[in-house]
Amino acid sequence: MSREAALEKLKDIVKPYVQNQEAFDSLTEETDFINDLRINSANLVDVILDIEEKFDIIIDNESMEKMVNVKAAISIIETELSKE
Amino acid sequence: MIGNDIVDLDLARKESNWQRKGFLEKIFSLEEQYLIHNDSNPEIMVWNLWSRKEAAYKIFNRNTGISGYFPWRLNCSYEDLNSGTVIVSDFVFHTQTQITDSYVYSIAVSDIGLFNKISVLETLENIKKENRIPYTLDVTSNKMIPVSITHHGRFQKIITLK
Repeated sequence: MSREAALEKLKDIVKPYVQNQEAFDSLTEETDFINDLRINSANLVDVILDIEEKFDIIIDNESMEKMVNVKAAISIIETELSKE
Repeated sequence: MIGNDIVDLDLARKESNWQRKGFLEKIFSLEEQYLIHNDSNPEIMVWNLWSRKEAAYKIFNRNTGISGYFPWRLNCSYEDLNSGTVIVSDFVFHTQTQITDSYVYSIAVSDIGLFNKISVLETLENIKKENRIPYTLDVTSNKMIPVSITHHGRFQKIITLK
């Protein structure tokens, strides 16, 4: 999967949890899930579970710890996909 | 140092399905999951432990500058419904939790003596922020006084130190 395709898929996943539509519309790799998109911190667990389901990967606790912005999420997804 | 966190139970019911497969495992240790599953009101226990972790995280983040998403590393030691400690790395934070029909609200402190020094602010007036961390300035000494703000759904709580 290309980085662009992964990004599009990730955007679909986070969309329902976003509370700052403007930040979502101008989303970049630097966009922070909690501080920019205003995703509720308990919903970040849902984002992670949705990523696991939709990409069919497992995100361990160490990876989850880093999953604070788009760039980190894409890197973790790419790393996990490349393991298969 | 102080931290606080509130959960609006109505909004939490809309926003979060804590019974979703994998949800508890991502956030809570085995001991914490045991507390949840064996409580007569598991939902309240979920948000009770969660708000303790969030309140403690605010202190940890301010003390160390470390930010990240690691609720599972903040370990709740549960004394009773309203009190306990949260352990993360080398830190032990004390928590007090208030539970009503509408919300669960936790305050964490780095030193148990600080509970007596907490005062409540009614407005965001005079609160400044640096790196997203709120504080006020003491008018005479010009020293920074810590502030913690939590907002969820219908509720907002702001605390500072006297």
